[in-house]
Amino acid sequence: MSSLKPEDVAKPAPAETAPDDWSPEIAELRRRQTAALEMGGADKVAIQRDKGKGTVRERIAGLLDDGSFHEIGSIAGSAQYGSNGELTDFTPANCVIGRGRIDGRTVVVAGDDFTVRGGAADAAIPEKQVQAELMANELRLPLIRLIDGTGGGGSVKTLDAPGGFTYVPANPAWNWVTANMTTVPVVCLGLGPVAGLGAARLVSGHYTLLLRDQGFMFAAGPAIVSALGRPVTKEELGGAMVHARSGAVDDVAEDEADALGKARRFLSYLPSSVDGLPPRAEPTDPADRTDPWLDGAVPRNRRKVYDMRRIVRSLMDEGSFFEIGKYWGRASITGLARLDGWPVAVIASDPMVYGGGWTADTADKLNRFIELAETFHLPVVHLVDIPGALIGIEAEKAGTIRHAARALASVYQATVPWCSIVVRKAFGVAGAAMSNHTRFRYRYAWPSGDWGSLPIEGGIEAAYKSQLEASDDPVALRAEIEGRLNAVRSPFRTAERFGVEEIIAPSETRPILCEFANLAAPLRKPGRVGFGFRP
Amino acid sequence: MTTRRVTAEVAGTVWKLAVAVGDQVAVDDPLIVIECMKMEIPAASPWAGKVAAIHVAEGGLIEEGQLLVELET
Repeated sequence: MSSLKPEDVAKPAPAETAPDDWSPEIAELRRRQTAALEMGGADKVAIQRDKGKGTVRERIAGLLDDGSFHEIGSIAGSAQYGSNGELTDFTPANCVIGRGRIDGRTVVVAGDDFTVRGGAADAAIPEKQVQAELMANELRLPLIRLIDGTGGGGSVKTLDAPGGFTYVPANPAWNWVTANMTTVPVVCLGLGPVAGLGAARLVSGHYTLLLRDQGFMFAAGPAIVSALGRPVTKEELGGAMVHARSGAVDDVAEDEADALGKARRFLSYLPSSVDGLPPRAEPTDPADRTDPWLDGAVPRNRRKVYDMRRIVRSLMDEGSFFEIGKYWGRASITGLARLDGWPVAVIASDPMVYGGGWTADTADKLNRFIELAETFHLPVVHLVDIPGALIGIEAEKAGTIRHAARALASVYQATVPWCSIVVRKAFGVAGAAMSNHTRFRYRYAWPSGDWGSLPIEGGIEAAYKSQLEASDDPVALRAEIEGRLNAVRSPFRTAERFGVEEIIAPSETRPILCEFANLAAPLRKPGRVGFGFRP
Repeated sequence: MTTRRVTAEVAGTVWKLAVAVGDQVAVDDPLIVIECMKMEIPAASPWAGKVAAIHVAEGGLIEEGQLLVELET
């Protein structure tokens, strides 16, 4: 809240002394704009800073290229007037919106101001948020939501106002929030406690994160949940790691600068809207670079795991891999990267987590990520080591097969160029989901490739059940059968039948992927895609 | 001195204990090897420190998130 000093108060000028131009009104505009910059007032701003948080205006300045912010609705807020109609007090609305640039490209930003009534509904002008969503949609510009507070959600305080009434709830701007997910990149940063509608706004984006120790998200906060029974803290109910692991958000930021930097970096891989194509960066890493380390990256012992993230970093342009969703759906690693400068979407199995087998949440993450790639025309590189979908009682209770089938549907519906590298295993339905086999199979296998309907290790018991039961020495018989089957397990036997198109030395993979990215580039088609992104 | 808890990142069976109580470990040293999806998956130490307690035995079933080892760091 800004208290205006008496000498600042503009008095309506008598008609006979009015100047010929509009300078009094322009001065009044500047005075109101300056008052709005004080946000919730010095005391509220001090509280925000004491918590280690930046103000909405500092955050916007940190996000955008220097001096590029062009605010819309700069003097929207609640005003109080004296008996002569003079403005005596002004509090800005708790949402700051406008346009600015990131790396020279125009974006729309909408930031909640927690210093004005904690971002609550009764201090909001909901139409500002609606217009921010519309601006991004009509101008085909990426949208960044800086979320800190409920930002337009409900408060029972609204019932307590003169002429109070209740209402059937509606989600403001939601048709545009939904439409934007199939139209423009949407980045949502959870920089404070977020509940209800704010939480729904936070997760309705293509890249979302919570700030460690500052960002919290809940359908309803600890006060409401604790009232139902067991007391909970905000950390255990909706801390950043809770939701990075649940998959409600994609990432965790260490501090505000990290959060803003991640938003800028994510957008660097994407077009400004579905009507554009992902921009190529100046190639800085030779496309023909080979890495001898790769030839020994996968252990010969099939029971031993290895570091897939290191393989990804070796194959992609140096320093270009930007992981998304590290803490959930961990059996697959997903992220954006560049090959010879071209942005690509990378999927890579992680053998350290369930051997790379698809859990229900891994399948959900893949579905979300493939939708992102399809929506923004990113070619996909899939590094495959999938022993199947996860098996067992817990996996069945989690409905893993339906989640896997949904990811499978995304793989088969995707039209973006797609290249698979079989690094090791490909078994069962999930292994077969490495790509849509009815398309041209842009596919290579490493000599460590190992595939089939069922892995030999587990398949013998099922396939030779009656023989093993009838045998006097089932252990010896099992060993004999396993030896016989292993003898024909070589990937060269598959390649003889053209069952796998080409086997390559792992060290030669990067040049092949760079060729893929260059061949894929002219095939990318701008426009809205057949299946739309949903949260 | 802080006691820190290392929990299982995956469900499975304890294949092997890679450390004993009292051992000094460095970051990324394997503490427990979990057999899961026919693979040997190491539960690596997130911290350097001394093994204060081991809460699982070889051959035992473990669930995701279960306490494996306590470290003094």
